[in-house]
Amino acid sequence: MELNNIEPIIEALLFTSGDPLSLERIAEVIETDKKTARLIMNNLILNYNEKERGIMIREINNAYQLCTRPEYFQYISKLFEPRHKQALSQAAYETLAIVAYKQPVTRAKIEQIRGVNSDSAINRLLEKNLIKEGGRMDAPGKPIYYVTTDEFLRSFGFKSLSDLPLPAINDLKELNEEEAYE
Amino acid sequence: MESSLTNACILKIENFEGPFDLLFHLLEKNKINIYDIPISEITDQYMDYLYAMKSLDIEIASEFLLMASTLLHIKSKMLLPSKKEKEDEEEKDPREELVARLIEYKKFKAISEIFKEKEVQWNRVYYKLPEAVEIQREDEILNLSPETLVSMYENILNKYKNRMNTGTSNKMVQILKVEKVSLRLKMKEIIKTLKNRVYVGFFEMFSLKKKSRMEVVTGFLAILELSKMKKVRLKQKKPCSEILIYKSNDSQTDDAEINENSKILNYYT
Repeated sequence: MELNNIEPIIEALLFTSGDPLSLERIAEVIETDKKTARLIMNNLILNYNEKERGIMIREINNAYQLCTRPEYFQYISKLFEPRHKQALSQAAYETLAIVAYKQPVTRAKIEQIRGVNSDSAINRLLEKNLIKEGGRMDAPGKPIYYVTTDEFLRSFGFKSLSDLPLPAINDLKELNEEEAYE
Repeated sequence: MESSLTNACILKIENFEGPFDLLFHLLEKNKINIYDIPISEITDQYMDYLYAMKSLDIEIASEFLLMASTLLHIKSKMLLPSKKEKEDEEEKDPREELVARLIEYKKFKAISEIFKEKEVQWNRVYYKLPEAVEIQREDEILNLSPETLVSMYENILNKYKNRMNTGTSNKMVQILKVEKVSLRLKMKEIIKTLKNRVYVGFFEMFSLKKKSRMEVVTGFLAILELSKMKKVRLKQKKPCSEILIYKSNDSQTDDAEINENSKILNYYT
C-alpha cells in the first residue's frame, strides 16, 4: 500500500463508518501496526485543521469520527432548524463533574461531596447515557460504581478521560493536594 | 425573621442546590475568606435563611437542617475554652472539616461550569449516520457430504410431521383436552432422571419429536429454575447446540423445596 494513498483511504473509511471508528480497526484495514496508524491519524487531523475544512476529525477514546466544525453551526442552523435540546440541571452538571473526576464513584460519595441527595441527577445522567454503571464496590450492600461513557466524551468535546481539564483554582491548591486530578 | 431578608431571598432560595451552595452564597455576599469563616455570623445568616424558607412555606430538605446543626456544633465548640493537654500540641480548628468539604464542593461546581461551556460548543457539531453498506460476500463453500444433507432433510420432515394434523380431515375425533403440564412435575422429572446419571441432554428429555410444545417450554423453564436454585448446572458448547444438564454438587433436592420454588412460576404453566 502506498503511503500517500493511506490518508484518502482512511478518509473514505471514516465517511462510510459514520460512527466512531477505532484505531484497531483502521490499523487492520490499512495493514499497519497501531502506532503507525496513530501517526497517520494525527497527521490527517492536522491536515484537516490546517486546511480549515468544514469537516473535522474528532478523536474519542481511541476512535475517530467525522463531524462538522463547531464554527459553522450558524450556517447549518440556517439550513435546518436545529431541535432544541433540553439542558441538564445544575445538579446534573455537578454530579457529572464528580463522576468524571472521581470515577468509579458510588452514589454515597457523590452525595457526600454535594451535601445533598443526588438520585434524580444520577438517573437523569443515566437516562442521557452520559454515565453508566461500572461494577460494584466490594463493601456492604455492594453499592454501584458509576463511570462516564464515550457519549460523555463526545458531548463535552474530550478525547479521553486524560483530556479532562485541570481547573485552576489557585487559592484552593494546598488543601486537596492528595486528591489531585489524575 | 424580618421581611427585608425574606423578600431578598424569595427568588433565590429555590435555586440553591444544597447547603453548600447556600453557604457559598453567604460567603460571597459577605466577601468572607473561606479559610477564616466568622462562624457565628455565618451561622446566624444561615439560620435566617432557613427561617425565611420556613415562613415561605418551602419544605426544607433534611440536608439543610443537617448543615444547620453542623454549624451550631462548630459554633459551640469555638465558644468553649480550649483545653490543651500539651503545650506544643496545635489546636485543631473545628472549622477545618467544613472548610475542606466546602472547597471540595466548590471545585466540582467550578468544573461543572467548564463542562457547560464545552457542551455548548460541542452541541454545535453534526455527525453522519453510518452507511448501510451492501457488499456481496463471496459464497462460502461448506465442507459437507451429501449424506448430511439427506439426514438434515429427514430431520426437518420428522419435525414437521409432529406438527401436522393427520387424519382429522374427515371428522373431529375428540374434543381437545387441556394438557396438564406443571413446572413442578417437570422439575421433579429432571431431578429424578439425574439421580442415576451424571448429566442428561435437554433434547433427550424434551424433544419436540417426543413431547408437546407445552412440555418442551415448561421443561426449559424447569431447567432454568433448577439452575437458579443451584440444583443443576447447565452447559452449552456453542449457541443452538444441545444444552447439557449436569447434576450439581448440591443436588440433595427435596420435593418441598421444589414445591415452594415453583409456586410462583406455576402461574406460567
